[in-house]
Amino acid sequence: MAAAALCWALRAARQVLPSPCPRQVRSYYVDWRMLRDVKRRKMAYEHADERLRINAIRKNSILPRELQEVADKEIAALPRDSCPVRIRNRCVLTSRPRGVKRRWRLSRIVFRHFADHAQMCGVQRAMW
Amino acid sequence: TSSVLSTDEDKSAASKDSTPEGASKRQEDGAETPKQQLLDIIGNMKVEVSYRKKLQELKASESKKQALNKLESPDSEGSVPQGTTEDTQRGKPLNPELVKAASAVASSLPRNKKQTESELLAQLRRHEETTDKQKKGGTINIRNVISEMTVKRQTPAQRSARMSGRISLRLDEDGQRIRPERSSAQSIDSRSLKVGKRLNIFTKASTEPEHALKTVSSPTIWDLEFAKEVAAVTAQPPRNGFEEMIQWTKEGILWEFPIDNEVGMEDDAEFHEHIFLEKHLEGFPKEGPIRHFMELVICGLSKNPYLSVKQKVEHIEWFQKYFEEKKELLQEI
Repeated sequence: MAAAALCWALRAARQVLPSPCPRQVRSYYVDWRMLRDVKRRKMAYEHADERLRINAIRKNSILPRELQEVADKEIAALPRDSCPVRIRNRCVLTSRPRGVKRRWRLSRIVFRHFADHAQMCGVQRAMW
Repeated sequence: TSSVLSTDEDKSAASKDSTPEGASKRQEDGAETPKQQLLDIIGNMKVEVSYRKKLQELKASESKKQALNKLESPDSEGSVPQGTTEDTQRGKPLNPELVKAASAVASSLPRNKKQTESELLAQLRRHEETTDKQKKGGTINIRNVISEMTVKRQTPAQRSARMSGRISLRLDEDGQRIRPERSSAQSIDSRSLKVGKRLNIFTKASTEPEHALKTVSSPTIWDLEFAKEVAAVTAQPPRNGFEEMIQWTKEGILWEFPIDNEVGMEDDAEFHEHIFLEKHLEGFPKEGPIRHFMELVICGLSKNPYLSVKQKVEHIEWFQKYFEEKKELLQEI
């Protein structure tokens, strides 16, 4: 009985807690701007469905205009951080807002640094 | 029983060495019946005779001769009940006729008679034991196992083929390897796996019926903490890259290979539930711009492969709620 309960508890613990990893875990964001960006992303994810539906009502030629105006007001009433336009694709490591390559989510300087040290898989200095 | 045997061996050695001297005395006694004598022999027989023990016995006998001569009679009496107990310990006593025959054979041989007799009796005993075992069917009969096997004879051609090269790099015109002809498979095919007597070597692992859901109270905090401790201790850091990758896969960082495109997507719905969504439009008015709008929405949803049926239904229901809230507004129009 006790053994069975212990096994169950073990399994539960394993699921809840991932095995302790000796790797470095990032516990802080690079700067506050990055934190704010993270918050905006989360909010945008939450309100994404609503925004889509209300926009569908707005960008319409079938429904009456009054309805669309009401929808306009509604969407404006949503929190400002919920719109996806406010998200900025910053560099993941340095939080640089400009010069970020989308594929790697890195700024150009970091990208160059890693590529020169051969730490970017499949990336080579161009020569032709 | 080993201690009993050892003591008995000592006694028997002593008594045996003394019996040839006292044999005349015994015969003269006549008090012991021949059966008793046989029982004596059974009781006194040694199971294993090693050279060291023989030396020990000889030394012991030389030192204890006189003392044992005096103690002979009480010894023999003492040994009889011991012999009987030993017999009971060893199970069935030997057939007295066999014992008699053994003693006769031993007497005919020129060597140390008592020793040979004891050894013969030991052999008989062993035979009895094995027959008992076989009757019960406990031992694995190796004969059964070997009977099925046949000696494999390689043809010299096969042998030469194998010697010439294990891995054949002979390339075809197309550039594909020529495999050496597999004739070994044919020999295996001639005897199938299910033909022949069952050997009963491997016992079926009795699948214990899973205990019906025991109503265990939710594990206490202490249990959880203990479990966490155990998990933390047992989780050793990975020794090599393979173990690291295994850990990552368990954590979810690494995908499982071969890549399954539908991981996490459990859409049990059929295609018609995705496409024919008109049944969800029952809450809407049958005419008017709203209906028109909703039909367009449904057309779009039916073409969407990324949403599950649940999500699509939620979409439509949201619209329903929205339009119900705006009903007053709509009636003004």
